[in-house]
Amino acid sequence: MLNYLIKRLLSTVPVLIGISLLLFFMLRMLPGDPAQVLAGQMATPEEIENIRHQLGLDRPIYEQYAVYLNHLARFDLGRSARTQNPVIEEIWARLPNTILLAVVAISLACLFGIPAGIISAVRPYSWIDYFVTTTALFGMSMPVFWLGLMLVVVFSVILKWLPAGGTGGWQHVILPSFTLAAFVVAFIARMTRSTMLETLSQDFTTTARSKGLKEQTVIVKHALKNALIPIITVIGLQFGLLLGGAVLTETVFAWPGLGRLIVDSILARDYPMIQGTIHIFGLLYIMVNLAVDFIYAFVDPRIRYD
Amino acid sequence: MKSTGLYFKKFIFVSMLFAVLGLCLTPLAAQAEIKELNIGIGIDADTLNPQEQTTTLPQNMCDLMFDNFFFQDPEGKLHPRLATSYEVSTDGLTITLHLRKGVKFSDGTDFNADAVKLTWDRIFDPKMRVPLRFAVGMVKECVKTDDYTVALKLKYPFAPLAPTLSMSLVSPISPAAIEQYGDDVRQHPVGAGPYLLKEWVKGDRIVMVRNENYWGEKPTVAKITWKIVPETATREAMLRAGQIDICYKPLPSNVAALKADPNITVEMPLDTRTIFMGLNCQKGVTTDKKVRQAFNYAVDKKAIVNKILFGTAEPMSGPVSPKVFGYFQMDKQYEYNPEKAKQLLKEANFDFSKTVSMRTPQGRYLFDSQVSEAIQAYLQAIGVKAELRTYDWPTYVAGLLKPIEESELEVFLLGWGPLILDADMGLYGQFTCEVNPPKGLGAAFYCNPEYDTIMKASREEQNPEKRLQLLKQASEIVWDDAPWMWLHVEKFVIAYSSKIKGMVVTPTEKFYPHYITMQ
Repeated sequence: MLNYLIKRLLSTVPVLIGISLLLFFMLRMLPGDPAQVLAGQMATPEEIENIRHQLGLDRPIYEQYAVYLNHLARFDLGRSARTQNPVIEEIWARLPNTILLAVVAISLACLFGIPAGIISAVRPYSWIDYFVTTTALFGMSMPVFWLGLMLVVVFSVILKWLPAGGTGGWQHVILPSFTLAAFVVAFIARMTRSTMLETLSQDFTTTARSKGLKEQTVIVKHALKNALIPIITVIGLQFGLLLGGAVLTETVFAWPGLGRLIVDSILARDYPMIQGTIHIFGLLYIMVNLAVDFIYAFVDPRIRYD
Repeated sequence: MKSTGLYFKKFIFVSMLFAVLGLCLTPLAAQAEIKELNIGIGIDADTLNPQEQTTTLPQNMCDLMFDNFFFQDPEGKLHPRLATSYEVSTDGLTITLHLRKGVKFSDGTDFNADAVKLTWDRIFDPKMRVPLRFAVGMVKECVKTDDYTVALKLKYPFAPLAPTLSMSLVSPISPAAIEQYGDDVRQHPVGAGPYLLKEWVKGDRIVMVRNENYWGEKPTVAKITWKIVPETATREAMLRAGQIDICYKPLPSNVAALKADPNITVEMPLDTRTIFMGLNCQKGVTTDKKVRQAFNYAVDKKAIVNKILFGTAEPMSGPVSPKVFGYFQMDKQYEYNPEKAKQLLKEANFDFSKTVSMRTPQGRYLFDSQVSEAIQAYLQAIGVKAELRTYDWPTYVAGLLKPIEESELEVFLLGWGPLILDADMGLYGQFTCEVNPPKGLGAAFYCNPEYDTIMKASREEQNPEKRLQLLKQASEIVWDDAPWMWLHVEKFVIAYSSKIKGMVVTPTEKFYPHYITMQ
């Protein structure tokens, strides 16, 4: 197990180098001059040149990449071109918010999605199944932006129960996490339903039933346990996406997370900040995948990482 | 006994009446001390160093923390602040500033000529990132005359220098803070203004508290929290729900609904920002003046203002905003007249087979791409083939500063918002030969020696009346030459709780809530 962990951790290095390579050159292919954006609309060519020099953008591109890799190897993500603060400080100020929102949202999604999927699979083509699948369809097709604003109108403006945006206490987390969970819960419910339907029709389920086991035991201990692997995979993938892709929810609810930071940075062509944030996203995604792999081993004893 | 009882009953009745009246009147009385004011804004500050700042909103915050040499009120009148008065030498090349005595920065450091000189020297330092340095490019040196007097030496006479000194760009920073934090003073702003920074949670909020040692009148608001709420609809919802007191720049489409709400006050003074379609005067089909004038007649600006911008702008009636010193309404207006436009194109032997290249940024100005699409349709309506390309701002701005040989600009949407209430930044900063790219941002490449002579004379002229005449002459020339399709002047929209009274809102997109009262 330990060997596997070390191997997997070592394998993140080439992945991160790959990300850095792609990111570095793709960013520089984007039209727009970061020095000009930073210098402002009314800057003189000399001032723009001065900023270009300060940012090291006047060096040959391979040299820029070498400097960047060198800094990266020392865990130095550089300074933001826009705010001139260390990138790591800017990320660190927002990362806990992003993680908190993603964790609460994925927990809510599991809490509602898995039981809904099970119920739906146990009573296929019943009214409850139709209710769950239709609700899931709505959840998946509803634009996050619209749902978020509707929740704000109902719970903040009309009922005045919850804050419309910002951070502060637990009340601030409710609306953004529900909005974010809406899509994921639908996805998890549908996935649970289809995998459960498959396992419920397997021979081992029939055997369990013929042994005279309680239906509850058959569903939870036999069917669900065997259906869990694809569900966990989906949850892992969705969690990874939530960590990096909650831009719209963060915007609607004024939630100071990494999603908004990266959009602002792209609009300002803030290369160090974009690079730093994407690297953190990459790292988080790798970690989530690793965690998912280990959870497989707990769920299915046949999976071993020796 | 009976009468005593009656008197007692009357006394009780009158006392109760007064008590009820008192209770009823209490909420209406103005609250002089306000514990906290919450303001919903769309963006976080990138820096709180006033010299590094280019965006109006963080400059507004800087004004509250640093104060200014002068304050230019919404009518353009200058009021002394950190400088009590100024004199201009007879040759116009030296301006002497008399500084206020007994002022301290919020960290206790003395405000004096040394502090002011240090700030100016930092502005002159080419290593410092000062994006608006051009606005004080005429100042070559700051000399300390005595502890409370400095002389600004100019490269050339510049009549509107005093209003320029009302910009946060030149607000002095505490020398002790510069010493302590170096460049990181942008994260630790220390000025001599009515507020000081208490907390800055990136992407979430900026909290300021009252500077109890402020030299001027004590602000009524003890604490100001700027909440960063990027989504406009959420900001409006928060205002309606009472979670913020002020909503910065609500959606133009919702202004009517907000105005209809009795709990909300909407202010929308005319701004200094003009939005225009630049017409390249040195390349392409728009080099012909008649074509440029035809394009001006082809577009219904009133319809754009009313239908696309929901009345949050006003059609231009002169080359600068009506809010600035030096504005004149032009006698000839380019009213919507497609027939006249076609006639002018015919006179110019316009080649209708050619496709005019239009470009526009998206998301930079109010409904910028929608306005450009409407203009494209108006041009097509008079038979002009027009192709419109949309860019994000960084890509767009990169194409603006190329010299004429490399420039691909033909018809392009842009905005220009002078930072002070004076026409110079618009008329000089956009239309003189010396601001043609790459030296400046006069991207229409307008160059007229006669115009330049008048504008240079206007900078040297210290007599306001004579200067006004020169600015009028220049305005008439450029208006007729039409290097722009003169579109509209934006309005600065701000909505706030109707309990708030005494808010100061300026045409430079700033507002000052520190002396408000609450009903």
